[in-house]
Amino acid sequence: MKKIIIISMLLLTGCSTTVPVKAKFPDAPDMLMTKCPALSQVKEDAKLSEIATNVANNYTLYYECAVIARGWQDWYQIQKNIYENAGK
Amino acid sequence: MWILSFTPDWVFHSIALAGVIGIIAGFLLAFIPLVNKYKLPIQIISIVLLTFGIFMEGAILNEQAWQLKVADMEKKMAEAEAKSAQENVKLVEKIVVKKEYIKTRGRDIVKYIDKEIVKYDTKFMPGGQCEIPKEFYKALNDAAQEPNK
Repeated sequence: MKKIIIISMLLLTGCSTTVPVKAKFPDAPDMLMTKCPALSQVKEDAKLSEIATNVANNYTLYYECAVIARGWQDWYQIQKNIYENAGK
Repeated sequence: MWILSFTPDWVFHSIALAGVIGIIAGFLLAFIPLVNKYKLPIQIISIVLLTFGIFMEGAILNEQAWQLKVADMEKKMAEAEAKSAQENVKLVEKIVVKKEYIKTRGRDIVKYIDKEIVKYDTKFMPGGQCEIPKEFYKALNDAAQEPNK
């Protein structure tokens, strides 16, 4: 009886086979890995034009960073579509 | 199934075939005197062999179906990885173009400041007609400071 149980268990192990396919997590482009730079500050005796330049430069930094953030969103959507469709 | 990984398929085909032959032989032995006393054991062994053989035939077919699915999935994953890399290149190109546009726009605005706002520098200088208060600089720099919490 014991032998029958052991043999049955060995034969039934086939039913728990896991599919040996590994999906590698997609690599994100290096450009998306760059951190947003710190915003620049103004001297306390800065002229009006220097203040305006500083504000304009900071806006530029913000929009450059926003492009990276948008890039992550696009990357996620693209990869999600690719890997969801691959499984079909 | 683990047993299929080290046993060739022909072994199970042979077992099933031996079971069939044994069952037929069991019926034929019934007509031969002296030997017909082995009929029952042969039939029992043959039925066991045939049952095991048929079970393993099913397992082989199931294994083949799974192997095909695995191969198909591996192919799809490889295609997905290639497509992912292609899309990454496209995305980087798009980001480079956008960043370049933003930088150019920023430079244009600074040029405009150097041309048009500079005129008002003396008016807003310390001690000038419209001196910018210290609090203004503080507020501006505090806003530019990265929050550390």
